[in-house]
Amino acid sequence: MKVGFIGLGVMGRPMALHLQAAGHELHVWVRRPQSAAGLGAVVHATPAALGAACEVVFTVVTSSADVEAVALGADGLIHGLAPGSVLVDCSTIAPDAARRIAARLGEKGIAMLDAPVSGGAQGAIDATLAIMAGGEAAVLERVRPLLEKLGQRIVHVGPNGAGQVAKACNQMIMVAAIEAVAEALRLAAAAGVDCAKVRQALAGGSAASRVLEVMGRRMVERDFTAGIEARLHHKDFGLVLEAARRSGVPVALTASVGQQLNALMAMGLGKDDTSSLLRVLEGG
Amino acid sequence: MKIGFIGLGIMGRPMALNLLKGGHQVTVWARRAESMQPLLAAGAAGAESPAAVARGQELVISMVADAPDVAEVMRAVASAGTPDLVAADMSTIAPAAARRIGEDLAAAGVDFIDAPVSGGEVGAIAGTLSIMAGGSVAGFARAKPAFECMGKNIVHVGAPGAGQVTKAANQIVTGMGVLAVAEAMAFASKNGVDCGKVREALLGGFAYSKILENHGQRMLDRNFKPGFKSWMHEKDLNIVMQTAHELGLCLPGSAATAQMFNAMVGSGLGEEDSIAVLKLLEKLSGQS
Repeated sequence: MKVGFIGLGVMGRPMALHLQAAGHELHVWVRRPQSAAGLGAVVHATPAALGAACEVVFTVVTSSADVEAVALGADGLIHGLAPGSVLVDCSTIAPDAARRIAARLGEKGIAMLDAPVSGGAQGAIDATLAIMAGGEAAVLERVRPLLEKLGQRIVHVGPNGAGQVAKACNQMIMVAAIEAVAEALRLAAAAGVDCAKVRQALAGGSAASRVLEVMGRRMVERDFTAGIEARLHHKDFGLVLEAARRSGVPVALTASVGQQLNALMAMGLGKDDTSSLLRVLEGG
Repeated sequence: MKIGFIGLGIMGRPMALNLLKGGHQVTVWARRAESMQPLLAAGAAGAESPAAVARGQELVISMVADAPDVAEVMRAVASAGTPDLVAADMSTIAPAAARRIGEDLAAAGVDFIDAPVSGGEVGAIAGTLSIMAGGSVAGFARAKPAFECMGKNIVHVGAPGAGQVTKAANQIVTGMGVLAVAEAMAFASKNGVDCGKVREALLGGFAYSKILENHGQRMLDRNFKPGFKSWMHEKDLNIVMQTAHELGLCLPGSAATAQMFNAMVGSGLGEEDSIAVLKLLEKLSGQS
């Protein structure tokens, strides 16, 4: 199949390579030519041109505005994709934006799935991403063979936007857990106790979690090089809090964690890993 | 002075009436025609559009709900092409939005002042609002005689947007202040102590505040009639939190307070005064 890919960053690049390795013809559009170097992909001048050449196009970009520009802009996918083709957006954006873009594409007979992922750069490389899909079930079934090359757990959550809602829930739980681990390890250190031992002890009990394992290790080893840059979690928290506000749902803990992320940004740590929440506690 | 006035809600209507009382020639426009009636009866002229309200004026004032409304009416005001016009927006909107609108109006030759107010409906009726202004010194000076009919404490804070920054700071203090007084009341009451006596005792010490005095009394009276509707306070705190997010600014107290107001809107208390946060606390603590 001819598969298009836009957004060859830390997540997108390994995902595109998996699709290519599965025997699909990879087409790309890139902002900077060097991003496509060494891929052996067909490079197009605009998203529209890419869309005209492909049956399915994946996007993995940063913000709602980025997806909107790539999908609906002057040279956007909407001007190239044929009726019956599919846009699979793996970016993390606002549920409202996902619904709006899907509706506009739908007017031209183009299907869209919001399919944000969780699992980080390592999950993308290992093809073990969790994929949470919103859109029509039949559309998901059509692209499922492609998604199976990227991840193991693919869940159809509901109609368009539902995937993004699930991703927002994922971010709430994950970043709050990172803050909890940071606070616990900070307390241990302040009490003069070996953090590595504390982490090791907790890993066997009820506090065990993936975050304690992965982010806890980063904190203990003081390795703050980014798996996922903290600024992206900061961005996601803006989306989560806005969604909570629109629904009139109080999210006390999320709001509090959001302020720690603001402090992290103020300390200039946005390009480091979110385990840097530990450094916010140490610095303030 | 010849003044155009846009937006005749709870705040705008008494503000416009005070301009009339101050001897100014006032022309009004409101989205709902019936809102204009009390002003027309008091001697104001009516206009059929926000563009028409700006024609031939020296000053145009807007008092509307949110940034998109301000942007829309100000675009219309600019389109009137009135020479040497000053436009003062007294609504509460995000500082960044005020700066953007100011730039657009400057390009159209209109001097834009952001001049949000504090003091609520009571202050608007009595003409005792606090007015915090941002924008050019010259534009502020020209609008000041009008401001003096509507308010008492009138401060030119600084550059465009500075008025809205001040108002956001005001909403941080009042939002947390109302929540603090409500929590103190809930605390006293769950301990079986007379809340009225507690308020009276605190009024003499360092916990004294206007909010403890006025809002505290209304909590005792269980008078939840707005005043200042909690959905509007929620909106204002959202401006605070959005700005904090954009700037990388850690405001844990405001964040917690904003979530309480969020819960009020979600649980149907949005149309009540912001002191109804007391009801929410009581519910959470099994006191209702």
